[in-house]
Order: sequence, then C-alpha cells, then structure tokens
Amino acid sequence: MSENGLQFVQQIINGLTLGSIYALIAIGYTMVYGIIGMINFAHGEIYMISAYVGLIVITGLSMMGIEYMPVVLIITLTMAMLITSAYGWSVERVAYRPLRGSPRLVPLISAIGMSIFLQNYVQLAQGARNIALPPLISGGWRFGDAAGFQVYLSYMQVMIALATTAAMVGLTLFIGRSRLGRACRACSEDRGMANLLGIDTDRVIALTFVIGAALAAVAGVLVGLYYGVVNPFMGFIAGLKAFTAAVLGGIGSVPGAMLGGIVLGLTESFTSAYLSTEYKDVVSFGLLVLILLFRPTGLLGKPDVEKV
Amino acid sequence: MKISRNSLLGAVVTAAIVGGSGLAQAADTIRIGVVGPVTGPVAQYGEMQMIGAKMAVEQINAAGGVNGKQIEAVVMDDVCEPKQAVAVAQKIVNDGVQYVVGHLCSGSTQPAAEIYEDEGILMITPASTSPAITEQGYKMIFRTIGLDSQQGPVAGRYIAETVKPERMAVLHDKQQYGQGIATAVRDTVEGMGVNVVLFEGINSGQTDFSALITKMKKEKVDFVYYGGYHPELGLILRQSAEQGFDAGFMGPEGVGNKDISAIAGAASEGLLVSLPADFAADPNNAELVKAFEARNEDPSGPFVMPSYAAVQIIADTITATGSEDPAELAEAMRATTYETPIGAVAFDEKGDLKEFQFVIFDWHQDGSKTAVQ
Repeated sequence: MSENGLQFVQQIINGLTLGSIYALIAIGYTMVYGIIGMINFAHGEIYMISAYVGLIVITGLSMMGIEYMPVVLIITLTMAMLITSAYGWSVERVAYRPLRGSPRLVPLISAIGMSIFLQNYVQLAQGARNIALPPLISGGWRFGDAAGFQVYLSYMQVMIALATTAAMVGLTLFIGRSRLGRACRACSEDRGMANLLGIDTDRVIALTFVIGAALAAVAGVLVGLYYGVVNPFMGFIAGLKAFTAAVLGGIGSVPGAMLGGIVLGLTESFTSAYLSTEYKDVVSFGLLVLILLFRPTGLLGKPDVEKV
Repeated sequence: MKISRNSLLGAVVTAAIVGGSGLAQAADTIRIGVVGPVTGPVAQYGEMQMIGAKMAVEQINAAGGVNGKQIEAVVMDDVCEPKQAVAVAQKIVNDGVQYVVGHLCSGSTQPAAEIYEDEGILMITPASTSPAITEQGYKMIFRTIGLDSQQGPVAGRYIAETVKPERMAVLHDKQQYGQGIATAVRDTVEGMGVNVVLFEGINSGQTDFSALITKMKKEKVDFVYYGGYHPELGLILRQSAEQGFDAGFMGPEGVGNKDISAIAGAASEGLLVSLPADFAADPNNAELVKAFEARNEDPSGPFVMPSYAAVQIIADTITATGSEDPAELAEAMRATTYETPIGAVAFDEKGDLKEFQFVIFDWHQDGSKTAVQ
C-alpha cells in the first residue's frame, strides 16, 4: 500500500478509537434519556470519578505487590464499576428522585449543579493537577511499510473497541430480552401506565443510572489507561463530546450512540489529518447541525411521538 | 414585599461596601497582592510564584520591614482564567491593595493589567511573557521576566543553528502565550531558511493527538516546536512515542516543569526547553537558595526568583522614595537599577526589562535539566 493509503488506515484506527471512547460515554446519556426523557448532565463527572477510582485502585494494587496485568485490570474494572455505580445511584437519589413530577427544566438544573459539585469535590480531594498513570498495557502491532511510514495499532486501542462493542451488544440484549429490560422499555413508553401495571418505576430509573454509571466506569478506566492522565476537568469536554455523539446518533437509541460516537471520532480524525486540527471542532459541530437539520431525531432516532 | 426585599438587598450591599472600605483603611502594614493560579491545571507555576514572593516578604520583614512597616502578602487565585483574573483584580481594587505581584498566565494578566492601570495600582508580573501586555503605553505595569519576542528568537536561532531540522512543525495551543511564542519561533526559523511544513493550533485541554501525530509522521517532520503548557505537550510526547514518531521536540518555559516527565515518562528525555537562566545556580544567590532548601522548597523553578525580585523591587522603591503612592513608585522604578536575585534589573519606558537572558536546556525523564548553551 502507498504511504497515503497507510496514513488513511492509521487515521481510521485513530478515529475509531476516539469514536469508541465517545460511544462508551454516550451510551450512558442515551439510556437515561431513553427511559426518563432527561439529560443526565452529571454523567461526564461520573466518568471522571471512575478514572480517579481506577488510578487509586491501580496504585493500591501495585503497593500490595499485585502487578499481573489481567488480574489488575479485572480488579480495577470491578472496583471502578461498583464505586461509580454507587455515585450514579446517589446522583439519581439526590438530584432526580425528589424532583420527579416537576417540570423538565428543574432536574436539568439540579443535574448541572450535581456536575459542578462533583467536579469541585474531586478537585478539592485530589488536587487540580494532572495526575499521570503508569502505562499498564503497552505495545501493539506494527504493519505495512511505505517510505518508513508504518501503521500502528496498540493493544489498548483494540481493547477499547472491543469493550465498546461488548457494552453495546450486552445492553441491547439486556433491554430487548431480559425482564428488567422489558420493565425499562415499559417505563420509556409510558411511565404512569407502567406504574399502574405493577412495575416499580423508581427502581427501574435507579437501575438506569446505575447501568449508565457502570458503563462510564469502563470508559473512565480505559481512557485513563490509554491517555495516562486524569484531571478533575476531563469529564466536562468528554461529556460534551459524548452528548454530541448521542444526539448525532439519535438520543435514546443504543446503537445510535455507538454510530454517533464513531462518526464523531472519524470526523475529528480526518479533519485533523487532511484539514487542520484547529478546525476539528468546527467541522464536527457543523456536521451535527447539518444532520439535525435533515434528520432532527439523529441518525438512528425514532420520531418522538407526543405523549398525551 | 418587594420594597422590603430591595431595601434588604441595599442594606447588604451597603454593609459589604462599608466593610470593604473599613478593611482598606486598616493600613499599618504594606499589603502586596500576590496573584496567580493557586488551583487549576497550571497551579505548579503559581506555587513557584508564591514561594518566591513569600520568601522575599519574610526576609524583608525579618530585616526590619519597609520604613518601619511590615509587608503582608495577600495571596489570591485567578486559576489562570481571564474571567477569574478580572474578578480578582476588582477584589484587589475593592480591598484597597495598592501593589500586585502577578498575574502569571499572559491571558489573565492582560485584562487584569487594564484594571490596575485605570485604578492606579502598581503591577509587576514575574511570569507573563506576552509582548502585548506592555504595548498599550501603560504607566503602572512592569515585569521581571523576558518577552516572548525575546525568547522566540533565542529558541528559533538555536533550532536553525544547532538542530538544523529538514522539515519542521510548529504547534501551539491557540492562546495568547502559546500562539505568540510559536509565531515568533516560526518567523525566526523561516528567516534563517528552515523549512516549516506545518503550523497548527490545538485545543488546550485536548487529550487525543493521534490524528495530528499521524499527519506529522507522514509529512516526515523531524523537529517539533510547541508553544503552550506542559499538560498538552506531555500527552503529545507520550502518544508520539507510542506511534513511533521519533522527531525532536522543543518548548518554552511553560512546558519546563517536572510534571511533563510524570506525564510523558521516558518520552520526555531529550526535550529541549528555553527557560530563563537558572538563577538558583548563580553563586550570588547561594545564601537565598539555602534559605529555600531549609524550608524544603525548590528555588529552581523559572518564576521563583522573578517573583522574589518583584517583591524586593516594590520594597526597595518604597524605602528609597519614602512614598507609598503607586504612581510615584512607578516613576521612580523607570529611573532606578536594582540588584536582585535575577541580576541587575532596569526597566525601559514600557515597563519591560532592558535585558533578560534565556537559556536552552536539555530535559531529562527524571524531571531534571542541563543547560546546553
């Protein structure tokens, strides 16, 4: 393959990795929206907290002398998912449940408040600086060679793509096939009716936040390991981008979040590669506006039926 | 209801104003505002500024203060955000503080300087290097650090004469400081015949640079200059090493921080950094360095000694003139040469240093550095 071809392949790899990260966070947004029709603005902060939990667990494990990579990874992911789920549950309990039944704007504001609170809380507890993580998984494959240019695919990148796909498939199956999933769908259709039919809607909504937070935990740990740096502000930009991805793909749709993330990731990569890094946000948000103009419900979104 | 609420608000505001001015009149000490990022992503630089300024304040006080009065450092946090900097500057005005050592980031110094100039407050920044800050013909604004327009050419000449890259890339973070210095470097190297194939801005706070690195790899870039701060360059170095992009890198003092080694690890070895000369290594400062070390503080950060010098200059001028009026001090400062830990200091009409030396350092992965020039 020519040098240009190889660069193209490398940019696709870059874009897919970035897109998978966006997608993993976007799924959390889309789930909450799909079920209660509200945007959880504290989701980006939950993701940031999981990156910190990951950092603390990894440091703790290496202090205890446990350094075998798969064990470290499994313990870190489990701990991060457990602790972040507790945060997700608490956010719902504090910022959403007491406001159930109030106008939609009210919980939106309380979620933004939650987001600012969490960001400042981590900043005070952990300091505002960047904290670097030791590379846990390094290495990868190099292939192709044209005039000294080689394509590089790291193990981390493959892992991120696999984790996102697994999360998306697992979640689609859960919502489509399981009993609890059916309860979720019922709540999303008509919460009042579901309640009348004996579904504990409060529990279903809490579950939604917990699942969203657990997915954010996977994203937080993987991103922390991939980039190697965590700071209290990382949730804001990541959350914004993931939210964009969710809207792009059609908010409320799980495969849509995945597709939206990938489209956004690829757009950013290709703009950086063939135009200029300066324009990457201009182009991606321009694309968002264009898509919403022609498909107001996003790429895979279903038209919103006005509920009576 | 409405009327009473308004009058309540009025009472609170009045109380706040009275309270504020009450504070301002309690001036048996000389208060110097020390403003920089105490929190936020570049708080390390703020720390350098704080330890330098506090050391000067304590040593001056221990030696009897200024005209019998003690100096008090009033530390304030602008997080390196222009918005916050304006709020802090207004607080300084309200509190009646008349002298400021700060701010640190050029982007926040610029809007704050305008307020200080209008309110007649004497400001000396120990860290902001953007030439634009002193270009408005201000009377009250000074600095104890060199300019990007001096640092850029030093870095550019070193690149063109010693590194001699074939295909060079110049990146920056689109902010006043980073873009300013990157532009100065590009203009210098292009003037000396270096082929700059890429001049591009990134977003500060960005974490993924893979697309940009792939592009530079494909363009066969063999040397990269980055204008900005260490968090972004650290990630660029780390991701470059991973992708197998092995160009040389260089940056200004904004990247010369031990954290860059924490972020980039082995990839930070061999990074070139232009910094103010290492004042801590100057034998004239041996005693001062010992005082810092006795307190377990690191005197080698680029802004420690300039901050010390800024406080000292204010104190010296008050002693020499016997006046505490900032405008009179500003006038006297332009006519005086000071002996400080950063050498002999003299200001020009604009408030810039007449002379300031930058040195190129070779960075090591353990966070230490050696001078190469």
